[in-house]
Amino acid sequence: MTQTILKIKNLRKWFPITGGILGRTSNYVKAVDGVDLEIYEGETFGLVGESGSGKTTVARCILHLIEPTGGQILYRGQDMTALKTDSSGIRKRIGVVFQDPYASLNPRQTIENALTEPMKYHKIVRSNDEAIEKARDLIKKVGLNEDHLYRFPHEFSGGQRQRIAVARALTMDPKLIILDEPTSFLDVSVQAQILNLLSDLQNEFNLTYLFISHNLSVIEHMSDRVGVMYLGKIIETAEKQIIYQRPEHPYTHSLIAALPIPNPALRRQRVVLSGDVPSPINVPSGCRFRTRCSYATERCREEEPPLVARQTGHLVSCHYELNLSAPIPIVGTHENHK
Amino acid sequence: MSNPSAKPLLCLENVRLSFQTYAGEVKALDGITLEVLRGEVLGLVGESGCGKSVTALTIVRVLPENATVTSGRILLSDKNLLETNPEEMRQVRANNIAMVFQDPTTFLNPVLTIGDQLEEVFLLNPERLARIAVERRIGTIQDSHEASLRNLSRAHQRKLAEVLSIEVLRKVRLPDPERILDNYPHELSGGMRQRCMIAMALARNPDLFIADEITTALDVTIQAQILELLRELKREIAGSTLLITHDLGVVAELCDRVAVMYAGNIVELADVEELFANPLHPYTQGLLRAIPIIGRPLKRLETIRGSVPDLIYPPSGCRFHPRCPMALERCKVEKPELIQSVKNHTVACHLYDGNA
Repeated sequence: MTQTILKIKNLRKWFPITGGILGRTSNYVKAVDGVDLEIYEGETFGLVGESGSGKTTVARCILHLIEPTGGQILYRGQDMTALKTDSSGIRKRIGVVFQDPYASLNPRQTIENALTEPMKYHKIVRSNDEAIEKARDLIKKVGLNEDHLYRFPHEFSGGQRQRIAVARALTMDPKLIILDEPTSFLDVSVQAQILNLLSDLQNEFNLTYLFISHNLSVIEHMSDRVGVMYLGKIIETAEKQIIYQRPEHPYTHSLIAALPIPNPALRRQRVVLSGDVPSPINVPSGCRFRTRCSYATERCREEEPPLVARQTGHLVSCHYELNLSAPIPIVGTHENHK
Repeated sequence: MSNPSAKPLLCLENVRLSFQTYAGEVKALDGITLEVLRGEVLGLVGESGCGKSVTALTIVRVLPENATVTSGRILLSDKNLLETNPEEMRQVRANNIAMVFQDPTTFLNPVLTIGDQLEEVFLLNPERLARIAVERRIGTIQDSHEASLRNLSRAHQRKLAEVLSIEVLRKVRLPDPERILDNYPHELSGGMRQRCMIAMALARNPDLFIADEITTALDVTIQAQILELLRELKREIAGSTLLITHDLGVVAELCDRVAVMYAGNIVELADVEELFANPLHPYTQGLLRAIPIIGRPLKRLETIRGSVPDLIYPPSGCRFHPRCPMALERCKVEKPELIQSVKNHTVACHLYDGNA
């Protein structure tokens, strides 16, 4: 029924730390250290975690912008890491929108060029006219108009640039789009516009999204399922409602409980996670969260908990079945701003 | 909490400010009137470019050279800060108003230890240092006269400053403060650096503590630690806090009152519960509907059409009118004044001034 579009198995990306005159590798930054995840056709999978947890590195591995150290990335069953060249054209099926709309557009290229060039290069259009036709179509789809095609990036605001980046991601008729913090540079009023646009486009083109963000509210709004990353690993995956209302990993719980809620009536004294995220160079032994976990035991020091299914579709990497309370007091909708 | 009878600590009266740029004059503040009451936490929220940080920089007068205040007064206990000379202003910044910024890395000196930077706060004011030492009977000078304390040896002063620094680091809940004094900024994490910045501000025991987006650069769990710290400090410090943020969640967690800014104007001001329960200005309403909130399932977010205006050519009348879904003809020509709508709730909008 639900088909898997992308499956990641034990993905690892270790960046070597070299030093000395001989440039010997002394250690590794284990940015991604054994990630397993599965994305289903047509859904939005939210990947959330604090900075340095490896979210973006996962995205860059999928896009083949960096070579993974180990593991497999399967697009509809085909291993992309084994491909030397993209002869079957599957990489074209994956689009991307980056975080910073000021850095992701070439300042010396008109918008028309930015949109038509990839189409021509990959020969997905037969003629220049067809490419321009398609660019016109796309620019309207993202809420801009044809005149905008002949302008340069500096003439646009951040929100408009991000619309252009979305249009560019669509030029290759992708099935899967990786959205790496697409709204974190934008103000809230503009963020809402972009999030709505992304939802509309998903329905229209039947797209699958991998939505990466550190913003828990945005992830909750956009995703069907959510994966939580901590120090290079996914520690919990489940449907959104479960993650936000009945998480079973203590990290997920404290992450969600840490979020300030824009409702003064819910102001609360909370248990705050102490300490900082450990360095990905010296990952703690056993469970990598144990240094900050209030439930940690001797077993957590010695044994790394595997990511196992508790219920169908709810995977948790913790030795214990903790009975955690709801991280956020559940209230009805706010009466005043429905 | 807001007590209307108490005299405000700080008063901004009709402050206008503009920046001279090659492209033209940026009218960044368009008549800001605001009171910070004693002991309160006042939130200043708005999107980027609305003038919230510029307001703070104007209060402490650390503006870039191309900025000019064209009108208005800023009163700190009857002293107009806009008329003080640089030395007086330096004293105000040293003793009355402390400010902490978004990115602690840029504001800590990378080649000095935390101890050097923190102790300096105490050493710059030997008299106060001596006074504290006598009051609190710190160190070996318990019985000395205050007069002789003024002539404390430098070594002695340093010793005292160190004791006080450790104390203030403990106050911001930094573990192992003795060791942190010897650390350089790069040896600390972002959250710890921000705690050091807060410690430096607290060391001065300021009347007004300005926190400009101090949790924005931090991760959620670290942000929660800092918010919790600010909440605890709120009980301990007598002074007022001006909390500048774009995050309505942070406002809801910490503030007593909130001022909402848009394009160089304060458009709404109310107690925090009142503002979230009963937002009056169309911009505030739009802002609250545009943010995704966990536990409020929505198919679509409501948006505010268009984007923030260019303040070189600000819209006439109400600066929000081109984006406002309820704009009237009047809004295009006449700028609305801040008026009291209900008790402790003021709004600058023609919809509420009676003759709409």
